[in-house]
Amino acid sequence: MTIRLPAIRHDRAGFEALVRLSAETEGHYLSRIEIDMSQADWFDADMCALFGAILYRLGDRLNTIQLEKIRPSIAQILSKNGFLSNYGRQKIPDTWGTTIPYQRFDVKDDRYFASYIERELVNRHEMPKMSDGLLKKFRESVFEIFSNAVGHSRTELGIFSCGQFFPKRKRLDFSVVDLGIGIRRNVKENAGLDLAADKAIAWATEGRNTTKRGRIPGGLGLKLLREFIDLNRGRIQIVSDAGYWISWQGKVQSGRLNHAFHSCEFGDQHF
Amino acid sequence: MNDSLDLSIYEIVGSPLCVASEDGQKVYERIAAALREGRAVSVSFRNVTSLTSAFLNAAIGQLYGPFSEDEIRAKLRVQDMEPDDRALLKRVVDTAKEYFRDPQRFDQAVEEVLGDEAR
Repeated sequence: MTIRLPAIRHDRAGFEALVRLSAETEGHYLSRIEIDMSQADWFDADMCALFGAILYRLGDRLNTIQLEKIRPSIAQILSKNGFLSNYGRQKIPDTWGTTIPYQRFDVKDDRYFASYIERELVNRHEMPKMSDGLLKKFRESVFEIFSNAVGHSRTELGIFSCGQFFPKRKRLDFSVVDLGIGIRRNVKENAGLDLAADKAIAWATEGRNTTKRGRIPGGLGLKLLREFIDLNRGRIQIVSDAGYWISWQGKVQSGRLNHAFHSCEFGDQHF
Repeated sequence: MNDSLDLSIYEIVGSPLCVASEDGQKVYERIAAALREGRAVSVSFRNVTSLTSAFLNAAIGQLYGPFSEDEIRAKLRVQDMEPDDRALLKRVVDTAKEYFRDPQRFDQAVEEVLGDEAR
């Protein structure tokens, strides 16, 4: 089968397009799947995390993936961050050092993730100058995203991340995706609440709500992340199942996507 | 505190980045074992540069399941923490107390502990 991919921006339309790709290829096994990227004239680099997660799951179901007709400008971005190295292309040097490489982690890789963040984010000279206190909180917020995926998703296929710096705009786009059960199912199974997907995301980000059960408490990670991003006038987007949720400058919006995808989280930050 | 057990988080984790729940679990096991023996415990966060709620939930928050608040207050001392880390710990502890007030969660936690001991 061939699927055509449009421009991918890290906004609702971009998520919708990638989630549609996931839904349309669901159930394929031992198939050849061609993704025609001729229409993709824009690709926000951090969205490689979601794109890569979808393709990885397809590969896990023994499908052969071919990325076709990639525009040179897009190929350059996706080669610099190492994404296309997974699909037969060579990595090219990142002259300006603004990419945060595409990477897949297993759930046991907390420390490996921590050193990736230290190496690719915290210790980079391209990183905007921050006070020690802000840098510490920034780093801990990123770790909270990963911990949240580890603690809640029950993913067996891993956790995917990718990012992009915009030094002049003092902005970082960073995405983390897991291939777990999703927030809606988690809330239903563990909190006994049968909510619509977008309402389930909202529930998980509020107060002391948590889906954690058992001897280790939870219910703080997403709130800490949200507080930090709100405080720094950043933006956080969460897509899980068919739910879309965004918090930007203290305002929250949410809605339903046309198709469903398992859990993923996105944080865009400004300094 | 006489005969207290002194623990260095940095030494147990082996890194200044205390981010993983599994690392928190290692800390918890040492604290819990000492508390079960009736010993006081002093925990130092010296040289720790990053903490997450997942780590602290596992290391400290979890204590509020099998041990009472009074017991923890009397026997556990936390030292060498930056003020912002102390603020995070307070939130973790407040959340944990509330978490274990929910009888369903508490029952499940007790079941898990007993299950472990039966193995």
